[in-house]
Amino acid sequence: MRAIILLPLLFAAPVLAQSAQRQSAQGDVSVTIYNNNLALVQDVRQTSLPTGRTTVEFPDVSAQIRAETVTLNGTDFGIIEQNFDYDLLSPNALLKKAVGQTVTVTTTNPATGAKTNERAKILAVNGGVVLQIGNRIETMSEYATSQIVYDSIPPNLRARPTLSVTLDSARGGTRPLTLSYLTPGMGWNADYVALFDERQGKIDVQGWITLNNSTGTTFTNAKTLLVAGNVGAQTQRQFNGRGSGRRVQPGTETGSREQLGDFYVYPIEGRTTISNAQTKQVSFLDVAGVPAKKAYEFRNGWMGSVDEAQSAASVLKFSTGKADGIGDALPAGTVRVYMRDTRGQAQFIGESGIPHIPGGSGMSLKTGDAFDVKVQPVMSERAPVTLDEWERAVRWRITDDDGRVRTTTVEVQKQYWRTKMRYIVTNARPVPVTVDVIQGGLNQWYGWGDTRVPEESIKGQQMNADERWWEVPVPANGKVELTVTYLTRW
Amino acid sequence: MRRLILLWMLVWAQVATAQPVVVSSGPDSVSVTIYRAPNRDEDEALDLGNLRGFALISETRTVDLPPGPVTIRFEGVASGIVPQSALIFGADIREKNRDAALLSERSLLDGFTGQTVTLRRTDPATGKRSEESAVIRSGPNGVVVQTSRGIEPIYCSGLDNDLIFPGVPAGLSAKPTLSTLTKDQTGGRRTITLVYLSQRFDWQANYVGELAADGASLNLFAWLTMASNDDTSFADATAAAVAGKVNREDDGTGSTDEEEPALDRRYQCWPTRDAMMEAYAVPAPAPPPPPMMMEMSSPMSARADMEIVVTATMRAQREDLGDLKLYRIPMPVTVAARAQKQVAFLIKPKVKGVLIYRAQYDSDDGDDLDTVKQLFRIKNIKANGLGEALPAGQVALFQQAAGTRMLLGETSLTDKAVDEEVEIVFGEASNVTSDQRTVARGKNWTLQRIIVRNANAAPVRFEAEFPAASTDKNFSKFSGRMVPKPGKLVWAVTVPANSTVTLNWREAEK
Repeated sequence: MRAIILLPLLFAAPVLAQSAQRQSAQGDVSVTIYNNNLALVQDVRQTSLPTGRTTVEFPDVSAQIRAETVTLNGTDFGIIEQNFDYDLLSPNALLKKAVGQTVTVTTTNPATGAKTNERAKILAVNGGVVLQIGNRIETMSEYATSQIVYDSIPPNLRARPTLSVTLDSARGGTRPLTLSYLTPGMGWNADYVALFDERQGKIDVQGWITLNNSTGTTFTNAKTLLVAGNVGAQTQRQFNGRGSGRRVQPGTETGSREQLGDFYVYPIEGRTTISNAQTKQVSFLDVAGVPAKKAYEFRNGWMGSVDEAQSAASVLKFSTGKADGIGDALPAGTVRVYMRDTRGQAQFIGESGIPHIPGGSGMSLKTGDAFDVKVQPVMSERAPVTLDEWERAVRWRITDDDGRVRTTTVEVQKQYWRTKMRYIVTNARPVPVTVDVIQGGLNQWYGWGDTRVPEESIKGQQMNADERWWEVPVPANGKVELTVTYLTRW
Repeated sequence: MRRLILLWMLVWAQVATAQPVVVSSGPDSVSVTIYRAPNRDEDEALDLGNLRGFALISETRTVDLPPGPVTIRFEGVASGIVPQSALIFGADIREKNRDAALLSERSLLDGFTGQTVTLRRTDPATGKRSEESAVIRSGPNGVVVQTSRGIEPIYCSGLDNDLIFPGVPAGLSAKPTLSTLTKDQTGGRRTITLVYLSQRFDWQANYVGELAADGASLNLFAWLTMASNDDTSFADATAAAVAGKVNREDDGTGSTDEEEPALDRRYQCWPTRDAMMEAYAVPAPAPPPPPMMMEMSSPMSARADMEIVVTATMRAQREDLGDLKLYRIPMPVTVAARAQKQVAFLIKPKVKGVLIYRAQYDSDDGDDLDTVKQLFRIKNIKANGLGEALPAGQVALFQQAAGTRMLLGETSLTDKAVDEEVEIVFGEASNVTSDQRTVARGKNWTLQRIIVRNANAAPVRFEAEFPAASTDKNFSKFSGRMVPKPGKLVWAVTVPANSTVTLNWREAEK
């Protein structure tokens, strides 16, 4: 009976606002999204507070809200406590909380359809339900044709996880309350489209910001700011370097974008609604005719022979400099490279991930393997050699009978291995190409340093202690052999 | 018709966006370029139940735009679309959205949580229906409503209760949809090209070779086998396949194409002891699925419901695409949903090569020459009747023998460029054997001998391969003539019919 009296009050609001769209309780929302699946939400809600102690609920916050990061700002109140209730309302939860309470059991006569209502006390809920109806004890199970009707919902069972704050307000009235919190489930990265024109040696680059929202909540009409950088985060896994096969020579130019400390900031023009389960892309970069060239790269990780020639990597080279390149910093993301086929249709030729790139950087992105440009490294000689060089092996200290101390050293000749490598570079394309051949593993083990290169058919450069690099020009439909002799201690 | 849809969309989506919405229901023309799964080995067959390659789909669509910023919704795109890859030519785009929030019973309940809906009760005896207002008080997992009677878990009784909703919440769509927001523009009829990558396509080169009776040439034929796992069919499409390895950053695991889980109305109705039981708390035990249905999910029987089309009069044409090779089917074809299609791309009737019996020095396996293998070696040049790029794939080799076609063996090829040596190693020999023995031994050296026996009625070509340089052994004093090849020293000899040849050499530890 009590329930019926309450009802008109409960229904009044929703019935008036009847529409297909559920109104969001959010106020003026601004969202700052970081790369590493983290967002800062600020939500300014006009809230009416009475004088004294009151509990304010904040529906429509992110369903993944990190409640420990919530701060509430406003005037003339103090916070007493803050609760995040995630005990969700379901028939099962309702039943468990109703133990010891009185409910109505509606039974329908399957033959006549006549309904009988009886008041019953729930004695226990263990596997099934044990009820006391008057003086009888009955049980109810899954297949019952009767239904339990409850008088009310226990206070902390919610439809959705809900944030509530208990305040002590110094004065009554409506005022803006600024709720701010961190939430995972939102992140962004950049996606680049590079249309490569090989004949002209140019690329057109478009940059898109790709935003993902999997928080479970839609942010309506939000002021959105994207920060290109990984802020330190407590519970999130660190964003690790993306991609493979790319080399970047970092630049020193400052981009034209707004900066926030060390990070670049990309605001989204106007306001935007970030729907739940949505992937949203907003254009942020569009440059045409950036000089670019294709190159080939082959890295041999260790000195050994392979039976079949292996494809060199196709590499796209361009700059992010102002004078000869894109002229902007590039936030981390994926670069997809397209090329037009003979019919002028754009075809995909590969993609490569990039980290945050400062302006003025030299980029070298691996897009795939070259079908027609191959390298076969083979070992053609391996023999021990003894150099006409000596190194100290042992040092002795000798005390003579008369007490005099002498020191002696024993020197041995340096023992080396001579390894001759041949790199057979072939080009089945009708144009000449240059292949960067890199030999790695020259100095990777402790104590096995002092690797020497006494002979090489093309002058190479030592990139670092471990890698040496040669530029091998190969004529159209031709073959070139690079031969290198190494002296190693192993 | 177009106008009608436009108007309806205008009213319907008013709340979500202020811009007019234009729906493009399908492409005028489409082209599909299929890329091989980057990490599938050349000897690994297509897994029709789980294709790991991808396709570039390029669609031409015509739309009539009103002036100003316009939202264009693209319908009928491939279901495996990678939204980040979408490229649009012919319109200035400010924003691209892909909404994966789908219309379902669950999303309806979720959208109306806290709001008033209609509860319809059906009397089990009389069938009489009655309707009343109810407020949904819970989320979609375990529905609890408030009615004039009190708080009711309406799906947890044996009674027939249904909820009726007053409308569809904005932003829910039947299929994942790509929509774009243009910049301010003048309006009019536009031709837009929409290009995007889509998961779950793959292709494979399949070579069929028939070895001539004399073993000196090969009739080589190659299929381009394309397969799609997508839900969308592309009719009259320009189809192509790209050979060569393309770099990919993600393997499709980030694809947003997930099935919306069905709502279990009885979920969370009754307390049970463990979670396992909870998951199975269905109203009545469902009958076990018929064997047909159980098989549907296994990759093997995915073949059963796939249409396989074999076309041979048409041949795909090759062109260079940067450092890749593009094979284009010369006339429009239909790339059907969940189907496989085969088109020839190489027909070379007489490819000259050499049939060889070979034993290789194997430092991994007992430091001996391994068992004799049979292979067909082709120098991939025009003079030999080939001179074509050969994309990686599987090879089946046949030969006519005693009036019937026999399978000699199956193997695979990696990507082979023009001018390369192609070796089709198709099986172990049984009539040609090599027998290795140590004939003398000294301090850290041995004298080795192989005797090669040919039991065939015809002479055969035999090769023994030794490494040109080894880290632990020196080979010297070969009794035969050794030919250097990259990284190898090769003894090549003809073994006469029904006879033997012998090679001696010295092996010393370094």
